[in-house]
Amino acid sequence: MKPPPFAYFDPTTLEEALGLKAQHGLDASVLAGGQSLVPLLNMRLASPEVLVDTNRVDGLGGLRRSNGTLELGSMVRQYVLEDDEVVAQAVPLLAAAARHVGHRENRHRGTVGGSLAHADPAAELPCLALVLSAELVARSNRGERVIPASDFFDGFMSTVLQPDEILTAVRIPVPAGNVGWGFEEVARRFGDFALAAAAALVTLGDDGSVASASVALAGVSDTPVRATEYEQALVGTDPTPDNVASAARIIERLVTTSDDIHATQVYRRKVAAVTASRAVTAAVNRARGGE
Amino acid sequence: MATSIEEKPDFKWIGKSIRRVEDPRYLVGRGGYIGDIKLPGMLYTAVLRSPFAHARIGSIDTGEALEVPGVVAVFTGQDCKEKMNPCANFGPPTITQYPLAVDKVRYCGEAVVAVVAESRYAAEDGVEAVEVDFEPLDPVVDPIAAIGPGAPVLHEEHGNNLAYERIFEFGEVDDAFREADVVVEDKLHWGRSSGMPLDTCGAVARPALNGSLEVYCNSLNFNFFIWLVAAALKLPSNKFTVIPVPAGGSFGSKFFAHKVPTLAGFLALQTGRPVAYIEDRLDHITNSDHHGSDRYYDVRMGLKSDGTITALDVDVVDDYGAYLQFGVGTHGNSLSQAVGPYRLKNLRYRLRAALTNKCQQGAYRGFGSEVQNWVLERMVDKAARQLGMGPEEIRRHNFIQPDEFPYKIPTGNIYDSGNYPAVLQRAIEMLDLDKWRTEQERARKEGRHIGIGVVTTQERSVFSSTEFWFWFDKPAFPLTSSPESVTLTIDPTGEFQVQMHSQAMWGNSPETVAAMLVAEEFGVDPYKVNVSYADSAHSLPGTGPGGSRFTVMIAGAVRGASKRLRAKLFKIAAHELEASEDDLEIVEGVVRVKGVPDKSRSLAELASTAYFFALNLPEGVESGLEESCTYDHPYTTLPSDDRKDLGVFYPFMGHACHIAVIEIDAETGTHKFLDYVAVHDAGTVVNPKTLAGHVTGGAAQGIGSAMYEELVYDEDGQFKCSTFMDYLIPTAMEVPEFKLGHVETPSPYTEFGIKGGGEGGRMVAPAAISAAIDDALSDYGVRITQLPIKPSEILRQIETGTQS
Repeated sequence: MKPPPFAYFDPTTLEEALGLKAQHGLDASVLAGGQSLVPLLNMRLASPEVLVDTNRVDGLGGLRRSNGTLELGSMVRQYVLEDDEVVAQAVPLLAAAARHVGHRENRHRGTVGGSLAHADPAAELPCLALVLSAELVARSNRGERVIPASDFFDGFMSTVLQPDEILTAVRIPVPAGNVGWGFEEVARRFGDFALAAAAALVTLGDDGSVASASVALAGVSDTPVRATEYEQALVGTDPTPDNVASAARIIERLVTTSDDIHATQVYRRKVAAVTASRAVTAAVNRARGGE
Repeated sequence: MATSIEEKPDFKWIGKSIRRVEDPRYLVGRGGYIGDIKLPGMLYTAVLRSPFAHARIGSIDTGEALEVPGVVAVFTGQDCKEKMNPCANFGPPTITQYPLAVDKVRYCGEAVVAVVAESRYAAEDGVEAVEVDFEPLDPVVDPIAAIGPGAPVLHEEHGNNLAYERIFEFGEVDDAFREADVVVEDKLHWGRSSGMPLDTCGAVARPALNGSLEVYCNSLNFNFFIWLVAAALKLPSNKFTVIPVPAGGSFGSKFFAHKVPTLAGFLALQTGRPVAYIEDRLDHITNSDHHGSDRYYDVRMGLKSDGTITALDVDVVDDYGAYLQFGVGTHGNSLSQAVGPYRLKNLRYRLRAALTNKCQQGAYRGFGSEVQNWVLERMVDKAARQLGMGPEEIRRHNFIQPDEFPYKIPTGNIYDSGNYPAVLQRAIEMLDLDKWRTEQERARKEGRHIGIGVVTTQERSVFSSTEFWFWFDKPAFPLTSSPESVTLTIDPTGEFQVQMHSQAMWGNSPETVAAMLVAEEFGVDPYKVNVSYADSAHSLPGTGPGGSRFTVMIAGAVRGASKRLRAKLFKIAAHELEASEDDLEIVEGVVRVKGVPDKSRSLAELASTAYFFALNLPEGVESGLEESCTYDHPYTTLPSDDRKDLGVFYPFMGHACHIAVIEIDAETGTHKFLDYVAVHDAGTVVNPKTLAGHVTGGAAQGIGSAMYEELVYDEDGQFKCSTFMDYLIPTAMEVPEFKLGHVETPSPYTEFGIKGGGEGGRMVAPAAISAAIDDALSDYGVRITQLPIKPSEILRQIETGTQS
């Protein structure tokens, strides 16, 4: 389990890093936290000719909240989501769900941008980006692109990032008003990739019915998915646990992950619906002011 | 914590929870593991592994690999076949193996080519450059299909895939079933899991003086097996020395892991340079010959209407994988405690060993006896449910009683001692079973599913080697020895050295045990005793840790050596003090005349005399203070010729009761432990702290085998879990805190009454968990019949139960 030979670059500025990506394109992989890339290298499942290490690149590691947006630099470590007061205040869903990303040790090294660019469909952060309607900022020598999360994931472990682009930041709209959130995950062990996970945001109208809902799932398809039909079905309904659960049956259709050694597709279908309805019910309770 | 059954002798150290003497060096990173061994000029090895489950090996092109910078040499199975003998093997002689596959590969991951280079990086680059022309053959993955008609044959020389078949019958089985009021039947499958130590197997071999070969090695229980490796390498055994290296865990998996040192030795002999072969995780998980039992059972149990178990009929097919290094020894373990703690007289045991395109089996904590425990407890639970008896009620009704020991079970093995009702009672009290049953009822009304699993199993210890061969009417090598040795030295200044004669520490506590026992014998501080391990050129007979034998055997050997050493000390002291040897005693490191404490000599004074003042020694006493003892298995008998009685081969019978309380989420099939009690009886407890470690670690592994760990091959024989992302070992998040208790029923046959407890909780936990899940979901008729239990299977059974 030793990687094949590669050239290693350790730029300190984004310009240098982008220059390397412009020069090497697909032959160059960006090394962020290394929690997925390094095992792939060691098992020789990936053999890039060039590694561009962005750990020392200036300006990718900060987070700030302004104008209703929480902006996370792509090199923000995942543990920060768990620990940071600003994150907890702005997007408590992110803070709570981050605990499910691997283990604390992984989160100390793993980065927000690394997980999004790696785009594992069973990972938590891509699912959270979707449910939160995040925008992803990509830079290249050609300029800057802002990509909605809903357009970012275009296939199994694949994104619309171009060979010369580097993900530099994620912008998350801070949910305004009385938005409840919920996150529910089923994995074989704590910290494993999800067999099914669901994140939900819910606002309630004055009459207590659902005014808006956003629900996304991980682990059920080639990419993280928004459950738009479920969201629509919820709007206007009285969100009793029974109503939320029976509407969630519609989720089963979204599940395309085939049988594997950890779960059958039949199981994933059922559990996807259960996690979604539990996430929504938790969100409803929070929207009502409960914890 | 301990409940005394008999009056316990007044020990000074035995029974004390002292911190392990091994720990300090490991905690500061000075363990001296195999990866720490660096020899001048050392080369590194990487291995090309078969991508196919079953294929003929055509041409192998190593030309490009040899051009890779840093690559020194490349070897194939053909090189092995030409230059060495087949590897050590306790299976049929028609199933041979080499460290690199010859002519055919028989499982995905089997080693095909070894590349030796100046670094592991270069060696792996070399592996990538090797071209092997494989000609794929049909694989056979299902063991039942493998022994059926028309299956592809793995070993042409063997003729078919049935490596072993025999029916053992003890008592009057058919009569018992005819007279039974109730017969319960089931099909059960215990899935393949394995010990998965952090430290993989590794060896560093170097050509040494006089044409000898030295191998640093963290596997292989020498010196029981070591000469077999020398024979494979065509070396005289006195020219092959293994230097034991501690390992970061074995759990049985390193017990007979011989291919790693064999390959390293072969490569060193061929290149004339020191060569390291240290498995990486992929090497280890795919190809370390250490997969555990994988058994398919058809079982019947006969009972009287009052719950008395009268007969057990076991028909088992064991999927051994592509080779059979141990023969079917793992079933000897099953037969040693086949009737569990129960007064069951009639047993039929049909065993078929199947060969399939998978990695072969090795040893894993329990060595097959844990599977029999699970099967037996599953059947007892099924019978109890059918008879409307509680789990503890049916067990109490069938227990062998404390006054019946020594008790001979139908297979011929002896249970030395025990108090099963006391163990069960202690567990029930520690858990507060009534409280949990009330809580279970209350929760059920809320739609929550809590289950309580109560099981009582045996924990055999200290194997005798007859179980390796009683399978055969005409065994090739019917050995009867399984000794352990210790050399005890008091040095010229009076300090103690203990030398052991088997593999170095594997994560167990041999040094703590030895130091405590020396402290007990001589009244010295255990932390001042130094412990080391002899290399195989200087070692006395030893079998090493396995089958929960080490503490019992080391205790025997330390006691024997201590008696001899004390006799010599007393001779010298008696001479100096002008007293009779019979009047002397040793107290806190001082030899003194009983009743006259002033008339004494310290160990340092006596040592000084022994080493430096020969003219002060009594007549006939040699200089020096060193004694050795080789302690043979204290209770072994031969099997009968007709194998109706297998003899005594695993007599020091521990016992345990685990009670697991588990809540199941009926919508997701996931679980949560609410409580867990484990009470064990391992005879006299030497060190409660280290025994607790065995019980805890074993139970964690039991949870792994029961709920997470599975070595999966798909229908093409592709291996589906070669990393820890897919082979799921429970972490601290999945393992509950265990409430531990001990009952001590000393063995009448061992020194100090110790029984082995090294395999700990893995002997019990899978049965307790299975029972708890059944109990939690009894409304749905859920019954666990295969391991590991996955949430998807639980949900499937709930759905089925809901529909019916």
